[in-house]
Amino acid sequence: MITLRGLTKRYGARTAVDDLTLEVRPGAVTGFLGPNGAGKSTTMRMILGLDRPDAGTALVGGRPYQKIENPLRTVGALLDARAVHPGRSARAHLLALARSNGIGRARVGEVLEIVGMDRAAGRRAGALSLGMSQRLGIAAALLGDPAVLMFDEPVNGLDPDGVRWIRRLMRGLADEGRTVFVSSHLMSEMQLTADHLVVIGRGKLIVDAPLGEVVAASAVRIRSPHAGDLAVRLRAAGVEVSRTGESQLVATGASTERIGDLAHEAGIRLHELSAQEASLEQAFHELTADSTEYGSRV
Amino acid sequence: MRRAISAEWVKLWSVRSTWWCLMGAAALMVLASVTVAAALGSHNGQPRTERLAATEPVVSAAIFAQFALVALAMLVVTSEYSSGGIRVALQATPIRGRLLAAKALVVAPVMFVTGVVSGAVGAVLTYVLLRMEPFRAPVTLAAGETVGDLVRLGAFCALVGVLTVGAGAALRSAAGTLTVVFLLMMGLPLLIMMTGAPALIDASMRLPMFAGLAFMESVENMTGGPMPYAAGEGLAWLLVWTAAALAAGYVVLRRRDA
Repeated sequence: MITLRGLTKRYGARTAVDDLTLEVRPGAVTGFLGPNGAGKSTTMRMILGLDRPDAGTALVGGRPYQKIENPLRTVGALLDARAVHPGRSARAHLLALARSNGIGRARVGEVLEIVGMDRAAGRRAGALSLGMSQRLGIAAALLGDPAVLMFDEPVNGLDPDGVRWIRRLMRGLADEGRTVFVSSHLMSEMQLTADHLVVIGRGKLIVDAPLGEVVAASAVRIRSPHAGDLAVRLRAAGVEVSRTGESQLVATGASTERIGDLAHEAGIRLHELSAQEASLEQAFHELTADSTEYGSRV
Repeated sequence: MRRAISAEWVKLWSVRSTWWCLMGAAALMVLASVTVAAALGSHNGQPRTERLAATEPVVSAAIFAQFALVALAMLVVTSEYSSGGIRVALQATPIRGRLLAAKALVVAPVMFVTGVVSGAVGAVLTYVLLRMEPFRAPVTLAAGETVGDLVRLGAFCALVGVLTVGAGAALRSAAGTLTVVFLLMMGLPLLIMMTGAPALIDASMRLPMFAGLAFMESVENMTGGPMPYAAGEGLAWLLVWTAAALAAGYVVLRRRDA
């Protein structure tokens, strides 16, 4: 459990994190979304006691990070995969971390195996690919078998296999009852991984809601030979529908499941029923449009 | 604390730069010892007649060789900042004073042992060289005196190492740390000597280089003679400089975001 209360960080006149209050609960993957520069990394650094907040508190399991003895056993975090001395081997890096928190040497081998690095353990960190560095960073996060895990943009620079692997890993960790807090600037990525979404923009909280609620507010694309009839049925059920073509509709305010069920009840055939990823991105964009730090005018 | 030290120990020995710096320091110490020994072994082309302790050239050599040790002590801190590893280190050991202390406590004994061992090699080579033709100088290598000198040499190296750790934490960058420590340990005292202003020179005698020479009871060195104060006072001044650097490092580490 991570608890933020009025967390604020200023850099001169700029407020990077602005009065952020939220709880990140165990047993779920909580996606931490926001455009670049929204304050995600700063928030994570304050949770880890690396940056000092100007106001408010960040607690992990009810305690400030500095008050946790052997913190790697409580919180595992991957902030920057490249933050390893380039001349040190993966194994030595993990061994030093293990020693610092009284974790047995055997655990180093275990986590290397979990992330599939056992054969690259002797390689110098500077010689690892970005994907391998990410795996090493995740191994370090898992080292203390912690109840709370934080990942900052973990899929950046990974190939599709690596991305799928991280998704499965985070899901598995949450299913084991751990708190998983993962940041991203990609709505589409979070849609596949997160149970709960926290969206911030310019340091301010915009949304703190289950994924389903955020997704429900976004669009669903429908193709049907009886588009007109379907539109009537959907409107009657309180779904917002607009007709975009002879046999095409776009619905908002309902999940694909709900629309499918409504169509089935009405006996209307569907040729396509898809959550519009682009529209999800659009929803995210609209949520954060006023708060983009370095927005470009198109 | 024990765990933080153990982690720093692993980190120190798992990078190649440590070995390069230590080999460099040992090689410099031995080479400079022999060179200084040859210079002290004769006087204006005449063989030396006054007694010379074999550790005397080693003390002067240490003033040069210390910079390889400074590089090592510096890297223990500044490589964390250049790689970003400081954030990982502080995640593992969030109490900042503890992390700094662990680094200092790992650097100090390594510096001490390197100083003692390379100093011993330098002293033995000095002894052998000055006993030979053309020197035939009255060089001595008495057990009690030699051990005392080597321990003081080791302590000097350890204190310079800890001072550098403090400076590294205060300045964070390798270039800045190396510049400041070099100026403090050598550049500044030499510059002041060149001014020839007695008041300035008198004040500069408390800089760590001269304090180190006094502490190691150097008799023949660049100042032309023994230091104007006792070994104990030299140690005291060295401790003051080291404590000041560590305090500066602690304050910066404590106050600033990592």
